[in-house]
Amino acid sequence: MSRSLESWRLLLRWQYERFRPWLPMMVTIQVLLAVGVIYGLALLVPDIDRGTALYLATGAPTLSLVILGLNVVPQEVSQGRLTGRHDYWRTLPVPRLAPLAAEVTFWLLLQLPGTALALVVAAIRFDVGLHIGWAVVPAIVLVALTGAAVGYGLAATLPPQVTGQVTSFLSIVILLFSPINFPADRLPGFLQVVHRVLPIQYMADVMRGSLTGRYDDPAVLAFVVVGCWCIAGLAVSYRAAVRRP
Amino acid sequence: MALLEIDQLTKHYRRGKVANDGITLSVEAGEVFGLLGPNGAGKTTLIGQVLGLLRPTAGAIRIDGVDVVAQPAVARQACSYQPQTSASVDNMAPRLAIELVGRIRGGAPSAVRDRATELLAALDLHEWEDSRRPLSGGVARLVAFCMAGVVPGRLVILDEPTNDVDPLRRRSLWQQVRALADAGAAVLLVTHNVLEAERCVDRLAIIDHGRVQALGTPAALKAELGASLRMELTLEPDARVPGRPPFGATTTPVGRRLFVDLGVADLTDAVRWAQALQDGGTVAEFAVGPASLEDVYVRRVSDAEEVIDVAVA
Repeated sequence: MSRSLESWRLLLRWQYERFRPWLPMMVTIQVLLAVGVIYGLALLVPDIDRGTALYLATGAPTLSLVILGLNVVPQEVSQGRLTGRHDYWRTLPVPRLAPLAAEVTFWLLLQLPGTALALVVAAIRFDVGLHIGWAVVPAIVLVALTGAAVGYGLAATLPPQVTGQVTSFLSIVILLFSPINFPADRLPGFLQVVHRVLPIQYMADVMRGSLTGRYDDPAVLAFVVVGCWCIAGLAVSYRAAVRRP
Repeated sequence: MALLEIDQLTKHYRRGKVANDGITLSVEAGEVFGLLGPNGAGKTTLIGQVLGLLRPTAGAIRIDGVDVVAQPAVARQACSYQPQTSASVDNMAPRLAIELVGRIRGGAPSAVRDRATELLAALDLHEWEDSRRPLSGGVARLVAFCMAGVVPGRLVILDEPTNDVDPLRRRSLWQQVRALADAGAAVLLVTHNVLEAERCVDRLAIIDHGRVQALGTPAALKAELGASLRMELTLEPDARVPGRPPFGATTTPVGRRLFVDLGVADLTDAVRWAQALQDGGTVAEFAVGPASLEDVYVRRVSDAEEVIDVAVA
């Protein structure tokens, strides 16, 4: 166990050192993006009532965590596959999921300042009172890890040349057709059914619930569904990590 | 028992390309073993299988007697690797990259730091050790070598380690490769630089079209030629390749060049023959030298285009 943790820590350091000169710029962009999403989405909705405001305020961090997993992580992985870093890491004596863990941790830490600031800005902008409970910590970790595990599995399986397009497509679809920033009943019926199975609605729910104290579904159900997807995503990633063509 | 044993290794890619076709070889601890061959001969595929990145279609790979096709984690622990690309350095300052890999390979912090210092000094890399500026190709490659050598595995795999490296540092690099073997590692060295390999490896295999075409020490392989001298003739453009010389030596045409294997007794006849060809306008120039590993290589590797690449390198 300690060897696994040490591998994770050293690979995390590797990520940090790799990006160190650009970290201030990257954090700034994340902050601007997170805050921009709050203000930008508000422009789409002319009359913001309290319910809408809560959706926008809590949807923004969810959206950025989902985009982290399904867009940023896969693009990093596919770039690593093209440059050879991905294979080089695979030759190192580390547990197979240690690179994924290091990748997710790095990008999650990079994003947290923006996410936290976005919540503060949202609370002020929409005048919504957030009731942030302890469950926010497992919620953030679970949502980030689930998205990243699925994204990592995708990027490790798809040809790197098309990964960027696939993940961009996914991001747009998630932004427009997922009940993250609005309630599920606004979606066409068949999409509501689809979202009873996909993890996105439940990801939004665990985030919203842990930030406001009010869950759409029973909290346990939401956490369990996201947890199951997380395990499935990790299983796909593990298979991709041990695959030898 | 050899440290690395490869037995009848075969790798077919999905589209039917046969990259390795029944390769058998072994590398002992303390030995520098060269894997020579033209581009696309199957060398990198071979080491990909040893490292557990690729799954063999058939055959066995054992490290210290352990079947690493079944247990790739054993291979990762046993092998340290310098890839052909320098992606491993990854925009980091060289010392940092070297020490990080050393720690990941289980080295103690102070031992890793000392060893990194030793390697950076041996390869004269102090100037760049803390630099984050983009490294030149040769420096990046030397840093990648240090990453493979900082906490060396029992098997050290180096893929084209000297490409782009200047002549002086190249010499230092070979000393470090030898030092790894002297310290007990088995070194598997992939290269297409025949002249360097001749000086630096203990044994070698020439691989082409996925098969071992020759295997042995440089001296044994050269002895197979049965000739101690080699004449090289450069043909005039558009000149026809001359027929077999009257003294009956073996000739190998490679592009506009013609190689002739000679015994010392044939030297006078050969020079007279070549002089006549030059006077007749067929040959632009000719030279005679001792037979080298390159001659073995030229004879064993069938693809003439690739041979020219090697000679130029």
